[in-house]
Amino acid sequence: MSAVNGERGNTVLLTLMLVGLGAWWALPVVSVAPNRIVPGEARYAWEVAGPAMALLASLPMALAALSARSADPGWRSLGLVLLALAGLPLWLVLAVHQLIDPELPQARLGIGSGIWCALFVLMLALLDLRTRQRLSTGVSWLLMLTPLALLAVCLPLGLNRLALWQEYQGRADDFWLAIGEHLLLVTTTVGVSLVLGAGIALLMRRYPEVQRGAFAVLNFLQTIPSLALFGLLLGPLAWLANRYPWVDSLGISGIGWAPALLALVAYSLLPMVRNTFVALEGVSPGVIEAARGMGMSRLQIFFQVRLPLAVPVLLEGVRITTVQAIGLTAVAALIGAGGLGRFIFQGLGQAAMDLVLLGALPILVMAILADAVLGNLSRRLGRGEAA
Amino acid sequence: MIELINISKRFGSTTAVDSISLKVESGEFCCLVGTSGCGKSTTLRMINRLIEHSDGEIHIDQQPIRSFREETLRRRIGYAIQSTGLFPHWTVARNIGLVPRLLKWPKARIDARVEELMALLGLSMDEFAGKYPDQLSGGQAQRVGVARALAADPDILLMDEPFGALDPITRESLQLELRDLQARLGKTIVFVTHDMDEALTLADRLVVMHEGQIMQQGHPLSVLRDPANDFVASLLGGEDRGLKEAALLPVSERMMPLGTGGVARERIDQGASLREALSVMLWRRVERLAVVDDDDIPIGELSFRRLVGARGHD
Amino acid sequence: MTEHWASRWRVPVIWGLLLLAGCLLMGQLEALFRWVEPDSRDVIFSRVDFLVLLGRHLLVVSVAAVLATLIGVGGAIAVTRPGGRDFLPLVAQVASLGQTFPPVAVLALAVPVLGFGTLPIVVALLLYGLLPIVRNTLAGIEGIDPSVREAARGMGMTSGQILRQVELPLAAPVILAGIRTSVTINIATAALGATVGSSNLGDPIISGIVNGNTAYIVQGAVLIALLALTVDSVFARLAPARRA
Repeated sequence: MSAVNGERGNTVLLTLMLVGLGAWWALPVVSVAPNRIVPGEARYAWEVAGPAMALLASLPMALAALSARSADPGWRSLGLVLLALAGLPLWLVLAVHQLIDPELPQARLGIGSGIWCALFVLMLALLDLRTRQRLSTGVSWLLMLTPLALLAVCLPLGLNRLALWQEYQGRADDFWLAIGEHLLLVTTTVGVSLVLGAGIALLMRRYPEVQRGAFAVLNFLQTIPSLALFGLLLGPLAWLANRYPWVDSLGISGIGWAPALLALVAYSLLPMVRNTFVALEGVSPGVIEAARGMGMSRLQIFFQVRLPLAVPVLLEGVRITTVQAIGLTAVAALIGAGGLGRFIFQGLGQAAMDLVLLGALPILVMAILADAVLGNLSRRLGRGEAA
Repeated sequence: MIELINISKRFGSTTAVDSISLKVESGEFCCLVGTSGCGKSTTLRMINRLIEHSDGEIHIDQQPIRSFREETLRRRIGYAIQSTGLFPHWTVARNIGLVPRLLKWPKARIDARVEELMALLGLSMDEFAGKYPDQLSGGQAQRVGVARALAADPDILLMDEPFGALDPITRESLQLELRDLQARLGKTIVFVTHDMDEALTLADRLVVMHEGQIMQQGHPLSVLRDPANDFVASLLGGEDRGLKEAALLPVSERMMPLGTGGVARERIDQGASLREALSVMLWRRVERLAVVDDDDIPIGELSFRRLVGARGHD
Repeated sequence: MTEHWASRWRVPVIWGLLLLAGCLLMGQLEALFRWVEPDSRDVIFSRVDFLVLLGRHLLVVSVAAVLATLIGVGGAIAVTRPGGRDFLPLVAQVASLGQTFPPVAVLALAVPVLGFGTLPIVVALLLYGLLPIVRNTLAGIEGIDPSVREAARGMGMTSGQILRQVELPLAAPVILAGIRTSVTINIATAALGATVGSSNLGDPIISGIVNGNTAYIVQGAVLIALLALTVDSVFARLAPARRA
């Protein structure tokens, strides 16, 4: 630790805080719009409630920058960074009360690039301090979630005038439906590709000649861009549905969930098969040898030795697949598969940026959560094993 | 000549090397021995400034090493390490020619030098020049490592457990070759090892280190016969020291002229060590050996009493 | 030698020729597409020439790829030098965490900040494409056997010589794999750029979806797939073959 902090102090924190301060003063922090149609008017920090308040709000970051100069800033810096993070929702509340006319029900407050940048930089600082202070995963997650929790607390205090929240309220039912669709498509994809992938991996182990061919095909599929694969599946499925009414009656058609699921599974197979195969192959031959020497049968060895030892790597495959599927499902909205991608593309079509955010932010959160949860699970199961 | 004067090295609050002084004469083979963590590697790496010393002065040929640019200093000192550190993306020939190339020798001279070194280390040019390090056995890779260290004909060679990862037979043959090489080339060698037999075989000067300090230094035999303290005695093998000493002495040292009582049946070469002679006696259950020269002609005899160093006649 | 070269590059050349042929001769396949899409008036996407679309696609991807490579490799080198080492843990974490961000989300988030058009696409591709390159360059450099670096220093190589002659050549295959990943993702993501006002091979697909014209979709999809396969097969053969 002392080697990391050194005599120079924490240069990383210093740099981040200076960037944060720069963003705070040089970029607009919020925008104000009287309704959904009119583009927002940008406001700088000092235009919200006077320069004194802006200065006060940027004080935690300035102090964190100063604290970074000492040899072992540690907990003091962490506290200041958290304080700065906590200040952001409060600042938005202040901005709503200062800038939004309560008489105009449609008036809304947009979050400006200054605040986004500050948030990003503060998150990076938190990430860095977490590593330096060697915080446990649980604690650091708690810290990361503080701004979110504060945002929720501040909601009744006026943050319902945030443009993002207004977009949400306009389509709350739709939003949860989209999340449901998204999750359903992702879990189905992961489930199907897990079963199929495990099957292919087992076949590969049994018939080594399958191996080369199958990997070549899966690699080939993975190379084809998602939009193109969705498009290519659209034609044949549409044709099938036209030709055979029973296919159509199943809900399968060129547009919708069918081509999406097909393409998603095609993409998911490569990481799934690769990890399952590597996981099963990767079990140390010494262990298998020992198990055979003890007189275990083939099935016993597979279920009691090989499979348990392979599970962490297998879960790693599930993690990669899930994260990838969350992103690709968003693209699938283009061919009518629903999900959160719909908001993104609708928003892009209408130039309604807050609608884009309403789609993109939950996708981002889902991906990060899936990555963290599955990654953690795989690490926990893999502990103590040289998997 | 290498001279360390009151050298210390501190990492943070721990002292790895504590005010040691050491003088290695030109052409001397100096072995640093000790348990792991005793500071022997640190001491070695301070000589070519891979680690900067905290206190004291290091001189090479009367000049302080800090008066040279780091890279210049290192290019005139050979360096070989246990894991060889051969560049995996370069051929054997290119690896050996590294330092001459850094010194901007003309290509023809580099090629000639590489060929010369490969011959010196018994690596056939045709077979090995174009090979990559991962195609070599451990012993071959270490030969290349030593050749690379010798490439620019440095006066000084620093070696950090170069044979530590080799099997005993390869290790022993490389030790003999190194000993032979040093006798022919007259290099000053500082050699770190934790293998006491290796140190005793190779060293002109044995330096025993413990917890960052030099416990004792001197000729291997004198250190062996007169250890400064219990630590040195136990490091040198405790009760095994008798055998270790016998391994260092040649048969010719204790041999008697041929007596009148006829030549003994079991023979031993005059160049063999007393330890080998003892082993033959134990194995053959005899108390007398005929000592023969290179042509297998008896030139003397060795009795058990003489071997153990008892005075007087049999 | 030439024979060797020919067999080595046969696959990329075939994909490339198919791609060019696809761009030039798509019009000749009108009968086929008429059969796919009997109800539409136009069955060949003709708003912009396919070659122009291909050129734009390539331009956007290659500008982003070149910049991402320069910045990514440069940045990764910087944080593995003694002066920048403080930043290494953070950069490594961001590079791996960032890869969990779906490219669509990154693309979507770039628009509010940078606006519509080709520039936001290039910036989004650049930012997202940085991650695999930084990550792989770090892995490549950090993965070098420490004894090799130790020996290089001990032989008297300067830090510049160590970087150019030892670290970069040894890390090159891993770095190249990172660039390959980055470019593959970028070709796919650039196609989505058609939804944010950048015209490229994604155009026929998006316009086909909007107008319900499957023929357009298939044309765009085939060309993008061929482009991806061509570029990927080139990278597959770039992997340094140091042993004859």
